[in-house]
Amino acid sequence: MSRQQLDKTTKTKREGSPWTGLWAVVTKEMADQLTSTRMLILEALIFLTAAVTVYAAAQNIQDAANKGSFLFLKLFTTGQSPVPAFIGFLGFLVPLTAIALAFDSINGEFSQRTMSRVLAQPIYRDALLLGKFIAGLFTLALVLTTIWLLIMGLGIITLGVPPSGEEVLRGLMFLLATIFYGGIWLALAMLFSIMFRQTATAALASIAVWLFFMVFWPIIADMAAKILAPVQVGLPQELLAQAHMQSLLSRFSPNTLYAEAIVAMLNPVVRSLGLVLPFQLQGAILGTPLPFSQSLVLIWPHLTGLIAATLLLFALGYVIFQRREIRA
Amino acid sequence: MKHILKFFVFGGVILAALFAAAPTFAQGGGTTRSVAPDLTLFTRYPIQEVALGETVNIDLTLRTQEQPQTVKLEVQDLPAGWNASFKGGGDNIRAAYVEPEEDTKIKLRVDPPADVAGGTYDFTVIATGEGQKSVLPIELIIKDKVPAHLAFSTDLPTLRGTLNSSFRYDVKLKNEGDDDLTVNLIADAPPGFQVNFKLSGKDVTSIPVNAGETKRITVEAKAYAELPADSYPINVLAQGDNVQAQMALTAEVTGQPKLNVTAPDGRLSAEAYAGDSTPMTMIVKNTGTAPVRNVKLSAKAPNGWEVNFEPDKITELAAGKQIEVTTHLKPADQAIAGDYMVTFKATPEDGAAESADFRITVLTSTMWGIVGVGLIAVAVVVIGLAVTRFGRR
Repeated sequence: MSRQQLDKTTKTKREGSPWTGLWAVVTKEMADQLTSTRMLILEALIFLTAAVTVYAAAQNIQDAANKGSFLFLKLFTTGQSPVPAFIGFLGFLVPLTAIALAFDSINGEFSQRTMSRVLAQPIYRDALLLGKFIAGLFTLALVLTTIWLLIMGLGIITLGVPPSGEEVLRGLMFLLATIFYGGIWLALAMLFSIMFRQTATAALASIAVWLFFMVFWPIIADMAAKILAPVQVGLPQELLAQAHMQSLLSRFSPNTLYAEAIVAMLNPVVRSLGLVLPFQLQGAILGTPLPFSQSLVLIWPHLTGLIAATLLLFALGYVIFQRREIRA
Repeated sequence: MKHILKFFVFGGVILAALFAAAPTFAQGGGTTRSVAPDLTLFTRYPIQEVALGETVNIDLTLRTQEQPQTVKLEVQDLPAGWNASFKGGGDNIRAAYVEPEEDTKIKLRVDPPADVAGGTYDFTVIATGEGQKSVLPIELIIKDKVPAHLAFSTDLPTLRGTLNSSFRYDVKLKNEGDDDLTVNLIADAPPGFQVNFKLSGKDVTSIPVNAGETKRITVEAKAYAELPADSYPINVLAQGDNVQAQMALTAEVTGQPKLNVTAPDGRLSAEAYAGDSTPMTMIVKNTGTAPVRNVKLSAKAPNGWEVNFEPDKITELAAGKQIEVTTHLKPADQAIAGDYMVTFKATPEDGAAESADFRITVLTSTMWGIVGVGLIAVAVVVIGLAVTRFGRR
């Protein structure tokens, strides 16, 4: 009884807004992030990538053969050998930036012995953690939005036409998907920075996970599909089941989710992201773009998956951080 | 000269010998002259038929047996208004000199007046020599002209055909008059018809038809508007100088049904949710000129799609009418979002089927969207639980 009462009293003591000081943390963190040499290098890298790829894409699009609808979306997806398309670069530049933003966010404070000082201020741990996460996400969003605007602007200059409403909408959805793709890696890096005392360990662990999903997961998904849904006789149903299983497993990787989402958004002709059976294409008018709403329906699971994964990773980090004992 | 001398000598002897019987001789000589006149005026064709308005040239011959002499020529009893003149050696003459044994040829030119009526006209040409006269009566018969006349004829004045066919009438136009005519061809057809005249394959509006000639003309009538089934009169008129001929032709247009499949606002596209029956309005029109019967409606859609029509059969659709058909279109459950082609076809019992391609945009259900939102909600709840359990340290 008395223990319960004690709990209650401690809880009552802890009352007050958990958001106090949140924006102070966010602004301070963002100021740190944006002025750090690490971010400057990454930003320079991303801007360079954007400029080069868009220039190459615009050159390619200006050839008569490549003209068509949704020219602005082609700026993102068109590459010209040897320069890959912008989205190809984003696939690893976004995780890299997100990890760089967050791998030392918590354990860095510990190693610099500033954590107890921060928490000595009237700021809850909730606000500190959320503030650091939001600051990271904002920084990422700022960088990506700037690049997005840069690309659209370059597009208007090089193509000479303004983007259509649907192109802008699709572009914005692409931006949103990219930010939350970064959000996953940001939450993961933050989780590792809570779990591991050493910043280097956290960075290495984050990069290991990224490499795992980038390089090994497709192979593992392929193998696992063969084991879980074996083709014994070679019936079409078995082949179909295996293909479905492989598709399902590969979608556990945020890379796959992100790649599929942006392909459907930036290429309106894409009708389906999974396996398409021949009878489903009967009577279909190929090469016609899907309406924006249908493309959105198509990638909605991917988009929500990316957002939900970000939230869950953050929740996990939050629980671990809250349970940790912090000594001055 | 020698001859004349001989004549005088011989004549003197006779005169002397027959002096007593002179009055008898003189009397007898007069009778001999009248029996065989010395001066003769003749023509080979004293009675001539002459066409109206023509100038007549008559060849005259003057002959004398013995006495060379100057002969005066004149025309008597010429009808009023007529002109006559003699021509010799290219000039107008009034007299001619005649030698024995050598005929003098003269031309008589007679100009009847322009308004002369048909009939027989007499006049006399008189040649007056030295003490003798020769009279030549001439008769000119002026024939009335056959009045100008055009005649149309055809074997098949009534033709039957559909709206799209051209009606070709073979028509003969005969000029029954004596004059060559230039004939204008005019057609009077009801609105909606275009009529052309063709002569040996070429479009003509005006043709020359010589006297007595028959021209074969093709009258080609073509309907260019949507006309109801009926018989249409086409009047063909040929106009010469003052004459005209007319003929009535008939084009019997038989009706022809023509179907048209479309949508109420002409927009051949629609949206449908995969696995859901979507009603769609379609319009079947009869744009032809005859009613259609027993029109069956069918659709060509991808596998797994269900298409029902309401009604699924049209018993009769009068010309110019339309009917609304409600189509229940249900894309397959597994249909992928995007555009599909669905062909709706209306097949009448007799006549050509008509179809229209509709572009159906298949939309997929937004149910998964709600599931996705649920997923985010779960994540938010997890955070909420974590905050309530561990919050505000």
